[in-house]
Amino acid sequence: MLNRSNAILGLLVLALPLALLAALASGPVDIDLGPALASGWAGQGSDAVILWQLRMPRALLALVVGAALGMGGAAMQGMLRNPLAEPALLGVSSGAALAAILLLYYGLAWQSGWLLPVLAIGGAFVAVGCVWLLAGRGASASRLVLAGVAINAFLSALMALALNYAPSMFAMQEIVFWLLGSLANRGWDQLLLALPFVVAGALLMFSGRNYLRALSLGEASAVSLGFGGRRYPLAILLGIAAAVGAAVAVAGTIGFIGLVVPHLVRPLVKQDPGRLLWASALAGALLLLMADILVLNFIGAQELRIGAVTAFIGAPFFFWLIVSARRGVAL
Amino acid sequence: MLLVTVRELAVDRHGQRAVDNLSCRLHPGELTAVVGPNGAGKSSLLQALAGVLPPARGRLEFGEQDASAIPAARRAQLCAYLPQAEMPAWSLAARDLVALGLLPWGKTPDRNARVLDALRQVDALGLANRPVTQLSGGELRRVQLARLLVGNAALIIGDEPTAALDIRHQLQLMQNFRQQADSGRTVVLALHDLGLAARYCDRVLLLEAGCLRASGSPLEVFTPDLIGAVYGVSCEFRWRDGVADFVPLEVL
Repeated sequence: MLNRSNAILGLLVLALPLALLAALASGPVDIDLGPALASGWAGQGSDAVILWQLRMPRALLALVVGAALGMGGAAMQGMLRNPLAEPALLGVSSGAALAAILLLYYGLAWQSGWLLPVLAIGGAFVAVGCVWLLAGRGASASRLVLAGVAINAFLSALMALALNYAPSMFAMQEIVFWLLGSLANRGWDQLLLALPFVVAGALLMFSGRNYLRALSLGEASAVSLGFGGRRYPLAILLGIAAAVGAAVAVAGTIGFIGLVVPHLVRPLVKQDPGRLLWASALAGALLLLMADILVLNFIGAQELRIGAVTAFIGAPFFFWLIVSARRGVAL
Repeated sequence: MLLVTVRELAVDRHGQRAVDNLSCRLHPGELTAVVGPNGAGKSSLLQALAGVLPPARGRLEFGEQDASAIPAARRAQLCAYLPQAEMPAWSLAARDLVALGLLPWGKTPDRNARVLDALRQVDALGLANRPVTQLSGGELRRVQLARLLVGNAALIIGDEPTAALDIRHQLQLMQNFRQQADSGRTVVLALHDLGLAARYCDRVLLLEAGCLRASGSPLEVFTPDLIGAVYGVSCEFRWRDGVADFVPLEVL
């Protein structure tokens, strides 16, 4: 059945390869895209190297990170039954960020390419674990949020402390730039590191899709529909921690994708929190890739950080949400 | 057909005993009302029946089987539960909300037909494509009832389903529940409106402070003495052809 919503979703799918091509064509150097693509992975020309070693992994990473953030946001909003929830709410992002900051702080980050992302993923899991333990047995959604806010506040305090006592201006700059989020200078290493976590996280979240559907009626109703027990929320939380933690680990904290994207696509999936998962992954991937195309084509002395771009897209969206709520449109 | 037997059930809520030492039977084909003052344990009893709260002591039997031994998905197929003031989080279309009642059944090939049939049973077919957040209270309740019916559960549990409805919708909803009982299902409702309970129910469980104070037919339970003692209100029941007009008079 092809209706308008499905047609738009279909267009989003079609837009992906086009956006990918646009991203590959964007950058400070003009390259001949056709021959470079044709020369393949092992191409020797400078165009081929730029394409295959720099632009391709960066563009693919944008897709993977965007998908993780979008799907994580959809899962979070579904689990907390709240359209204003985002993955950062449960400390995933700040856990990953703090771990990364500590490495940058001690200047250990560049000793090996994978050390920072691995520890950042660990940080995400630790943060979610703390939230889970703090919220306690059989926690309601509101208690989880409360625990998340508390853990987030504590992690923010630690981050502020790390910035305060940064050993050098250089370290401080590194930390601040890392917090802004960026896809610059990321290669195949980061992509291959993040991908398994994002895929595993996505599968975990997807396994909980019927739980999220049942939860749209409320927690008691979900239990009465056969979704009692801790394994369902735990699967979702672990999925978010793995996918979003890996995304933050390789790209820094990129805000608003997890908040905005589920909102944008919810009407397209008839508000179904289950289908929203993959639809948000799709739209998140596309949105982040387009934001990165903007970054790549932005001409300035400093690199424009992608976190700043997504915030510029996200904040006006919030204005719009408030205004439409004022007009009586349900959030 | 499902006979539910409750044996010496105790239920804890927020660390406190909400239902204690309660034994009763819920019969197929009967509409049972659970009544009692606020805090008497009505909701806790229903939640225990629905599997939302675990029994702290005693047991529940569905037919011959211990309910706690039934796997969650199978139990969800057997019993459908509508909590007090359930509000959907997302603005689903009414038909999609009803379809959630089929979740315990996994993939159902005739999903659409069953959803529409359930909506038809509660006279809400015209609402099928409306977003549930735009429905009136009475319309939403009917759609939620269709959600309870769509899975063909043998036991239907409603926690104050008529609360906040106007009198017409109250009567309409109670007639719907009555039909379900007449078709052989076991229906149990927590009710505050004793007049509705007297008119539509076969059996009444009167709770007081977590214990079963009285049970029996409305004629047996709804006496000014018993209601006065439990609610602390003087009242009259004017019976005509087995139907009571309930008139609360004053606080004792």
